[in-house]
Amino acid sequence: MDIYTKFRSMMDSHIILSFKGEITSDIISMVLQIMESKLDAVQERGAVKKKIFNILVECMQNLYHHAETETVDESNKRSAMLELYFDDDYYYITTGNFIKNEDVPRLRDRIERVNSLNRDELRKYYREILDNNRISNKGGADLGMIDMAKKSGQKLDYEFTDVNEWVSFFGLKVKIAKK
Amino acid sequence: MDNLVIEGTKQTPHIDFNASTGVLSISGRSIPENTFEFFNPVLQWLDEYAGIAGDETVINVSLEYFNTSSSKYILEIFKRLKGVLNDGKDVLVKWYYEEDDEEMMETGEDYEDVSGLPFEIIAIEE
Repeated sequence: MDIYTKFRSMMDSHIILSFKGEITSDIISMVLQIMESKLDAVQERGAVKKKIFNILVECMQNLYHHAETETVDESNKRSAMLELYFDDDYYYITTGNFIKNEDVPRLRDRIERVNSLNRDELRKYYREILDNNRISNKGGADLGMIDMAKKSGQKLDYEFTDVNEWVSFFGLKVKIAKK
Repeated sequence: MDNLVIEGTKQTPHIDFNASTGVLSISGRSIPENTFEFFNPVLQWLDEYAGIAGDETVINVSLEYFNTSSSKYILEIFKRLKGVLNDGKDVLVKWYYEEDDEEMMETGEDYEDVSGLPFEIIAIEE
């Protein structure tokens, strides 16, 4: 079975939480609760805690609203992954989900645009989108990526992987400095 | 008109909007998945309030966290109040942030810029 090896590797990579499945409202609440108590336990600084909490909310709500099923068969679950871990300098939030192929270019452009901006430019862009975009039925109106980049103060790490003619896999890693 | 009081939860803010005093307060967290469901009644109340508002309206905003889908609705609240201001009445936004939360302070400045309402941005000592 080798569960010990798996445990050891989770220990060594400082995994706080690792989840694969459908992100529901209940799961979001539970993960936030777990994360809050873990950060309280290590007495993480208030400002860092808030950033992590904020970014985690955005990440999970992205999964909640935008994760697709792997195939056209709608009876499948909208499986996604979420993992939280840390090292000496950073906390990391990684997410993965299926996304319709047709939605890939727009998301890629959005992230690349966000990554090309410095802090002041990001803030300006945030104001612009806040003011101009209509509220979509999923609520986010594209502010999510800008907000995560702004709050983390780091570039967003991402990848798209071809899966089938229907979807791709979108992987995102956001890091937050402990300072 | 009736006042609007909504108890806060772990996901949604506490709302206490008083039509007769013109003091409106929103505090706590706003991170629901379905923001429309929460904010729609709030905006409807404000639409009615805009018609009967007195000379002075103060809105106290002291939010610990809010998600980006709430941020649009917060702007919508301010837009409703901009209407009241445009009617020649006084409106003031008091935006509170915990003193180590620079992000929340800047967000206040962003809203001040975008909404066109007068803001007081106030640090709360912890």
